[in-house]
Parts: sequence; C-alpha cells; structure tokens
Amino acid sequence: MLKENSKEEFLQLIQENKGIIFRICNSYCRNKNDREDLAQEIIYQLWKSGQSFDNEHRFSTWMYRVALNVAISFYRKEKSSNAFMPLTDNLAELSDKNETNDEMEEKINLLQQFINELKELDKALMILHLDARSYSEIAEVLGITETNVATKLSRIKDKLKEKFNQKLLTTNN
Amino acid sequence: MNDLELQAIWQSYDKKLEEARLLNLQSWALNLQCFEALQKQKATSKLKSLINLKAFIAFLGIVWVAFLSFLVYHSLELSKIFFVVSVSAIIIVNIIAIVVYITHIVWLKQINNSDNIVSTQQKLARLQTSTMWITRILFLQTPFHTTWFISFKMFAHASVGAWMFQICITLFFTWIAIWLYRNISYKNMDKKWFRILFSSSEWTSVVKAIDFIKEIEDFKKDSVS
Repeated sequence: MLKENSKEEFLQLIQENKGIIFRICNSYCRNKNDREDLAQEIIYQLWKSGQSFDNEHRFSTWMYRVALNVAISFYRKEKSSNAFMPLTDNLAELSDKNETNDEMEEKINLLQQFINELKELDKALMILHLDARSYSEIAEVLGITETNVATKLSRIKDKLKEKFNQKLLTTNN
Repeated sequence: MNDLELQAIWQSYDKKLEEARLLNLQSWALNLQCFEALQKQKATSKLKSLINLKAFIAFLGIVWVAFLSFLVYHSLELSKIFFVVSVSAIIIVNIIAIVVYITHIVWLKQINNSDNIVSTQQKLARLQTSTMWITRILFLQTPFHTTWFISFKMFAHASVGAWMFQICITLFFTWIAIWLYRNISYKNMDKKWFRILFSSSEWTSVVKAIDFIKEIEDFKKDSVS
C-alpha cells in the first residue's frame, strides 16, 4: 500500500516506471492530445488506486493492471476518433530528434503498425510480452491462464513474422 | 525473427519515444501543484457521475412506485379489481427494475482498476449493456397499461366491437412484451429488427459493449483450435 499523502514516493515510482505509460499511451492513442489525456487519466487512477497496491507484488505489475484498464476503457470511448494515423507521422516527429538507421526505423514502424492493428486485449498481451514480462505475470495482469497466454502469443507472433516476411519480400522485389 | 530481436526493436522504439517526449509526462507529472489541480478537476469521475445518475433514476422509480402503491391502497375494492391488478403488476415490474438499478450501483462501486484486465473490462462492458436488460424488463408492464381502466360498468355498456378491440389490443401487447423479453439478447444483435430497435446513438455504446463482451469471451478461451 502506498502511504497516504506520500506524493513524493508516488511520483518517484511513476518516474521510475514512466516507460509503461509512454508505451501504453502510444499504443492506444494515435492523437497527441488523446495521449496527453490518457496519461493524465492513468496517473490520476494510479494515485486514486494507490491504497490497493500490495507491497508483496511488483509495483510495475500493479501499474500495468491499472494503466491497461484505464487505456482500454479510454480507447473504447474514444474509438471513433482513433482512426489509424500512419505511424510515419510519429516517426517523422521522432526522426527530427534522433539519428537512427533506416532499417531499424522501418522495423519499428512495422512493429508499431502491427500493434495498432491488434484488438484491445491482444494489444495489452503484446505490450506486456515485448516488455519481457513472464507468462505468469502476463497471466496475472490479464486474468487468463498461462497456457492461454502462450497460445495467444504464439498466434500473434506468427502473424507478426508473416507481416515482416511480406515486407522483406516487397523490399527485395 | 525471435523474441530477442523483437524485444530489441521494441526497446529501440521505447527509447525513441522517451527521447522524443511525445508525451509531456515528465514536465507535468512531476509538478505537484499541477497534480493537485488535476485531482480537484477530476474529483467527480465519470464513474461517479454514472453512479449518481443511476441513483437518481432509482430514486425516481421509488417515488413512482410509492405513488402507484398509494393509489392501489386507496382502491382496494372489488369494483376496481382491474385497476388494482394491473397497477400492482406495473408496481412489481418497476420494483424489479429498481432492484436491477441498485444492483448496478453496487457493481459500479465494486469496479477496481487494479483488478485483472479481463474481469474489470467484463464488468464495465456488462454495465454498459445493463440498459438493455432494464428495457427488456420494463417492456413486461406494457399489457397492463391496456387493462387498468377496465371496470365492471364497461361489461354492461360496451359493445361487442369495443370488447373485441380491447381484447385484440391487450393480446397484441402481451405477445409483443413476452416476445421482446425473450428475444432482446446479444444473441440477436445481428438481426435487422434488433438493429432498428436499438439504432439511436445512445444505444451504439451498448451494442459496442455487447461486441466487446463477445471479444472478451473469445479472449478467455483456452482453445488451441
């Protein structure tokens, strides 16, 4: 449990785990304003749910549960305005500030595009997997069995490989 | 492509996200004053306003039931038997709807974002579809709205044609009420009549929630097929 009125402790934990918020906001919102709104909503809900945090569990696992629940609810409400925006828009924004090789950029673009096309729950599963969370942790966050996690991930990754291979073929031709 | 390659791509993306500051998270999340303001601004969350709305509707329902009960209590005589029976049936249906509303308020209070995703999202989607179940229950009172005004005087004075008309109307509304009660279900959401009945914008979110419940059920399945 987070101590009452312990804003400093709370903000420090948020700061240490801010990557989770970045990843989730960017995967569930295509629009900058929506991302800001969702980030605020997630932090507010984390603060409000602080009493339910059990110190025996990892903070990041609890944070994933709250943040993904908020993001999925937010996404479902805002779905109509969440029409797919080409990721190149985002990458252009990123490229101005970072020098990376084209190949990696292409792969990142493809991966993000693939994640954006996934259904809400599959998206949550993939985000957790890409963050190198164990099957048991993913199962705990999502509320499904480890076998189910393994089956679903295998299917999603097969589709992803297919997408990457198709892209490679197109590039080679 | 293996898991490590995939995670390497994700980490590169992660790093770029953070460096590019697509979210202005650091600047405002670390600002305590801003955080305080946010708390006040969000003091009445959407969930809380939904609880208040449901509580208000339940309160109106209780007032309506109390009023009808008052009328029934002061009409307890054989000559007003149709009125007493019909209004009592309407009261029972309304009491059921009020109980459902109160149950939803309890469910809303139980929703906890720190529970697992499937359970929380399922509860939220079920609540959104609750409007449909209440509508289904309330349809059951329709035939009684066609009988409460019948009196013994009507037996003596009304023509055969008038009685035939009355019987047809009551039977029709009885049939439609039972049929709607049995058929308003997410299993029929793809049927044309269902789409027409629930086509207004306020029902769109309900229909979407039904779709999402189906999606959650599929997601929970362990099947390897």
